[in-house]
Amino acid sequence: MSAGASRWLGRALLAGSIVLSAAGQLGMKAGMQELHALATRGVALSVASWSELAPAIEWTAAGLTAYGLSLVCWLAVLVRYPLSYAYPLLGLAYVLVYIGATHWPRLLEPASALRTGGTLLILAGVALVTVADKRR
Amino acid sequence: MNDALLLLAVLLLASSQILQKLGAARRLHGKRRPSEWLRALLSPELIGAIATIAVGTLLWLAVLYRMDVSRAFPFLSLGTVAVVAASRIWLGEHVSGRRWAGVVLIAVGIALVAST
Repeated sequence: MSAGASRWLGRALLAGSIVLSAAGQLGMKAGMQELHALATRGVALSVASWSELAPAIEWTAAGLTAYGLSLVCWLAVLVRYPLSYAYPLLGLAYVLVYIGATHWPRLLEPASALRTGGTLLILAGVALVTVADKRR
Repeated sequence: MNDALLLLAVLLLASSQILQKLGAARRLHGKRRPSEWLRALLSPELIGAIATIAVGTLLWLAVLYRMDVSRAFPFLSLGTVAVVAASRIWLGEHVSGRRWAGVVLIAVGIALVAST
């Protein structure tokens, strides 16, 4: 593989691990929310029909699949990049999950100044912790 | 109860992160062939990483059943703090002032999110 192609593959793997990990969280939450809605309607899981359970199972499976793929991408990133390059960008997943959870019509979780501020502090903190130290 | 479940899940997922890092450094680094990857997967570090992530993920689903993902997910950044602490305590690595400052920012960020 040429150096250029290898660099693009590396970037795609890194972007994939960030986006897939956020998508995985949102998918798992969507699945658990469907399950919660069933319980709230008083449907016992042991007697629920397939069509009642399907949305919960499908969203959870989709979320777990995205999460699993993100881990595979991440392992490939770890092998190919110095940690100091890849790790700081992982913090972006916190922002993606927050934006997704508050804007995706299926979830529409309440946004608040505290959650927004906390999420941004975490993004900054993860970057500070993980950017490489200058060699002395 | 919810918060205890959340912390247990985060603890397991953070342990997995540390084991993944150890496994990648010790077993995967420089390996390109699938057969080498397969053998590396059977190392204690990576078996431990898979076991902790499997149980941690099940608990995580139980957390998401009860809690907003925009509140729960930020707690996973404790994993980053755990990696810093582990590298200081077990690997004896020097941790710079800037990294400690990052740990403080993460802790304050989690406290803000947790209060919602």
